Amino acid sequence: MKILIVEDEPKTVAYLRKGLTEQGYSVDFVGDGEDGLHLAQTLDYDAIVLDGMLPGLDGVAVLERLRQTRQTPVIMLTARDSVDDRLRGLGAGADDYLVKPFSFLELLARLQAITRRGRGEATTITVGDLHLDLLARRATRAGRRLNLTAKEFALLAVLGRRQSQIVSKTIITELVWDINFDTNTNVVEVAIKRLRAKIDGMFETKLLHTVRGMGYVLEHRPDGGVE
Amino acid sequence: MFAIATTLVSVLAGVAIFGFQSLELRRHQAEELNARMEIIDAMIRHAGDPKRWPMLGDKLESFTPANGSIRYRVDCPDARFRFAPDDALARARDGIDLIHFDGKRYMTLTRRVPPYLERPEVRLVIAADTAPFDASRRVLGVGVLAVSLVTIALVSLLGWWVARKGLAPVDRLSQRARALNPDDLSLRMPTKGLPAELEGLMAAFNGALDRLQDAYERLASFNADVAHELRTPLGNLIGQTQVALSRPREADELEEVLHSNLEELDRLRCIINDMLFMARADQGALAANLETVSLAGLTHKTADFLDVLFEDAGVTLEVSGDGVVAADASLLGRAVTNLLDNAIRHGVDCKTVRVTIEPQDGKVCLGVRNRGGPIPEAHLARLFDRFYRLDRAREHSHDVHGLGLAVVKAIVTMHGGTVFARCEKGEVLIGFVLPGGAVATGEPHEPSARRIEPVGA
Repeated sequence: MKILIVEDEPKTVAYLRKGLTEQGYSVDFVGDGEDGLHLAQTLDYDAIVLDGMLPGLDGVAVLERLRQTRQTPVIMLTARDSVDDRLRGLGAGADDYLVKPFSFLELLARLQAITRRGRGEATTITVGDLHLDLLARRATRAGRRLNLTAKEFALLAVLGRRQSQIVSKTIITELVWDINFDTNTNVVEVAIKRLRAKIDGMFETKLLHTVRGMGYVLEHRPDGGVE
Repeated sequence: MFAIATTLVSVLAGVAIFGFQSLELRRHQAEELNARMEIIDAMIRHAGDPKRWPMLGDKLESFTPANGSIRYRVDCPDARFRFAPDDALARARDGIDLIHFDGKRYMTLTRRVPPYLERPEVRLVIAADTAPFDASRRVLGVGVLAVSLVTIALVSLLGWWVARKGLAPVDRLSQRARALNPDDLSLRMPTKGLPAELEGLMAAFNGALDRLQDAYERLASFNADVAHELRTPLGNLIGQTQVALSRPREADELEEVLHSNLEELDRLRCIINDMLFMARADQGALAANLETVSLAGLTHKTADFLDVLFEDAGVTLEVSGDGVVAADASLLGRAVTNLLDNAIRHGVDCKTVRVTIEPQDGKVCLGVRNRGGPIPEAHLARLFDRFYRLDRAREHSHDVHGLGLAVVKAIVTMHGGTVFARCEKGEVLIGFVLPGGAVATGEPHEPSARRIEPVGA
């Protein structure tokens, strides 16, 4: 999975390089629009992360020129949370955009989405002794049927598809409720609490974990994962 | 200005008086001549005997004063009936005329007396020196000029004094206005002892100052609130990071610090994002990306999201009515989310939150009603202020940073609408009014969002 990042802020570049490399991506970095465009036009990337504010050629200009020759998936990073900016980016052919400050988890999720990586095509998911049947919309643990509401099942499915990956609240609200704005509500916490009661409540081994400040992860931890 | 007007009026009046009086003098002089004419005419008319003429001449001679101020002349083709001491008088035309001789100006009255017995027609001329009248006119002119000048001076002075006296309150007000400054916002303009027309102006001015002071104080407290809101998480971040780094730590301890930092940072991110968002609304940014949104549909979608919160609070939601607006669905969804969340959070003994959507002459009104209150009028007005909390004690309640309703107001403003908050019969009603109507194209539909992937299959 080869990714190009066009970004001029050194600290941002440093943590992206580290984070993405650890996630198994092979990453190229450039710091300005001209070089970015040149690389994007000459090499084959699975995705490009493009900063909107660049020295020299700005993000939208790079994108417009790139689109004349290639359809590589592009995520725009925009510091200005203005609707016009996003529309310009999307209008110029961006597949998605992230507003700075963005969370790394969210960038990961968006990258996975546009590169179609980690899209579980499977219809069943197994986490420890928890089984999900996505077609029948059934969940069992240790052979016992779990009585989940539709929303609870959807939430579990979102976490199950990203087994062992931390999933942020933002991504959960977007995928489960189709809400794509920051809310200051504690809906996700409450929903997770309820789901946890149903899938982990009666069992010694916990599968649904909270990662403070980041989100939630569904995984079987050999050490028992008692929280 | 006043002096110029006075001068003009005085000059006009002076000229008019002078002209009128001159005419009057002239008339008076002519009348005097006429009176003499009547007397002499009577003497001559029936004097047809040449023998009596020398006597007549003597009479006329005696009528003529030594200074020559009145002169007589009788012209006749027959020399026996003549009396002609001054040839100059022969120039006088019939009727009234003016002639100069001997260095003087004379007014003359000339009449022809018809023949009688032996006497043919004679031409009788009476001339009166105009010097006394000219003198009178000069005196009159000087008088009028003097009076005019005095009038102008007096009226100008009076006018200046009246204006000074009339404008003295304005001067006082100007001085007071110069004293107004941001350091003392409580200063107001005086309204007592002013002329009526100024009193109204000052009352209006003071009203403006009240509003400015209010805005100023809000801004000041808002700045303090922002600093306070940001200071707490920043302080935590710096403090716990320094403590963590002050000595070697186990990995899990460091991890704990990072998690805690992340929570604080996320809090900061939320506040900053909301602040930036509201700053844009303040700058008059308008919502773009408009689609036709059904408010009932949007409310149901939002309620679906908040479902677990409603359940936890033991509150049910009732939605009645519907209306269509052109809006950025995701922004408006955020506004409705905040309103419902606010209703759940602040309801007292509240079993039902009711949302009513109704058209109002071309606009659409969405109100969220819950049991609660009463909220004092002063607080109601400030509910939409940033960081405003009814209850300061709840300052650190779960992830509420006091921007919820302020964000609602910003979003509604971006759509050209207004917000309202009222208390009615033990209920709190908070909501907004938006311009109604669909986007030029498109059917009302459930707002859609970008999807990363379908959930489920």
